[in-house]
Amino acid sequence: MASAGIEKVRDWILGRHPERTELAEDVRLLDSRLVDSLSFVELVYVIEDASGAEIDFDSIDLEDFQTVAAIERAFFARGES
Amino acid sequence: MEPVSYTAQWMAAARAIESERDDALFVDPLARDLAVPRGFELIDRYEGGGLLPFITIRTKFLDDSIAELDNGIAQVVLIAAGMDTRAFRLDWPEGTVVYEVDHGALLAEKDRRLAALGARPKVDRRAVPADLTREWLPDLEKAGFDPSRPTLWVAEALTFFLTEEQAAGLLGTLGGASAPGSRLALDILGRALLRSPFSRTFLDTLRADGTPWIFGTDEPEEFLAANGWKVRELREPGQPGVGEGRWPYEVQSRNRRGANRLWLIRAEIVGH
Repeated sequence: MASAGIEKVRDWILGRHPERTELAEDVRLLDSRLVDSLSFVELVYVIEDASGAEIDFDSIDLEDFQTVAAIERAFFARGES
Repeated sequence: MEPVSYTAQWMAAARAIESERDDALFVDPLARDLAVPRGFELIDRYEGGGLLPFITIRTKFLDDSIAELDNGIAQVVLIAAGMDTRAFRLDWPEGTVVYEVDHGALLAEKDRRLAALGARPKVDRRAVPADLTREWLPDLEKAGFDPSRPTLWVAEALTFFLTEEQAAGLLGTLGGASAPGSRLALDILGRALLRSPFSRTFLDTLRADGTPWIFGTDEPEEFLAANGWKVRELREPGQPGVGEGRWPYEVQSRNRRGANRLWLIRAEIVGH
């Protein structure tokens, strides 16, 4: 079961794309342009708010943001246990 | 044509697309013909990341910078004017002279197309073929520019393509030819945008096309001040009066770290 945190992230992405009603965890967010170069910073803020973690912009790993599943692994996994 | 000429076509295509909207911020009836052959293809190539609304909002911001001109300023210089048609579509005070500075091949092609369209400027418009990478003020003066009179300089989508040293040098050059009361309107990228891994694909595409984005700063006031200009207005797209309702992103507060900035600036010359 997904954490409340990752659901906030998913809701934010869906909120930007009213034409979509669902977002599978393996959809490529950047390739599909669901997140673009200017909105990514908002995504980072949403993840920070939802996870409580601070993300260092200088050491961002793109792989951590490719899909909802990747975001969950990178930023929400610890809170799951 | 040189690569930067294709970016001029790209911007013309963006203006053509805007002009056809019901809620257009401006109407540029010449843009569609100036955008060929590559402008619309580049719109697709550089799609995403807010470029289309940014070009639109910036165009309107600079239009407004011209519209609010004090009567004391009767010469306007569009630096790297590209396919800009402000001389044809804006209303100008009597006696204004508009100089369009860009490289000769681009200006010749632009004039050829405008003539074929039967376009008539609404102001005394003077095309100034020049190489902006060398000393170009003599070319401007030869066309009639008078440095002893106040000027509005417009540098649209220009500083991105320069190094920091070149951008500083440009501001210094403009400052040196600016009588008291002169103004400057321009846009500058934020640094975060140029460093963001999320911009990488787009930036790599621009680089591959021979028009890399190079310069940006997150301290535009300091950068202008260091080069002789005082910022009067510093805006970002999406703020009230600057594309509010047309910008698909949140405007981030100034102190928010990592935010992508696109600075829209009106400045004035610092007293000599």
